[in-house]
Amino acid sequence: MDSFSSPSSGSSSSQFSTEEFMDQLKTQLAQAYAEEFLETVRGKCFEKCITKPGSSLSGSESSCISRCVERYIEATGIISRAMFSAPR
Amino acid sequence: MDSSSLNSAELQRLISQEKERAMVNEMVAKLTSACWDKCITGTPGSKFSSSESTCLANCAQRYMDMSIIIMKRFQSMQ
Repeated sequence: MDSFSSPSSGSSSSQFSTEEFMDQLKTQLAQAYAEEFLETVRGKCFEKCITKPGSSLSGSESSCISRCVERYIEATGIISRAMFSAPR
Repeated sequence: MDSSSLNSAELQRLISQEKERAMVNEMVAKLTSACWDKCITGTPGSKFSSSESTCLANCAQRYMDMSIIIMKRFQSMQ
């Protein structure tokens, strides 16, 4: 960097702005949460829909899986709302 | 003062907020998993029956009730 150019914010490797740091933190948390969610859905839907694994996924197994994913997302919403509107 | 630089107290506050959000997400995830097992006994349909959705809502609320009882019990033992 020559003496005529002005330093851009956050360009120094030893300094983060709070905003950049928080952006990275939030992104990583969101990714971790999404991975955990997917892993849970895989487990639940495998259990519910693939009772006897065949040599390929049947049509009914595939539609069960689709419904299962939708229902699990819906269940997450129901639980989340119930947790925050419960009368004490 | 450079408002974009790392300010320890502000950063701590923001991290603390994110930590709380993460804990809430974790609780919802755990509870959804447990309540799904308790309430969705058959093959998933194209919508929840009213008994299934009631069960899920009840499950979450009873868990919260239980949490309070456990805390009170635990505190009374200190």
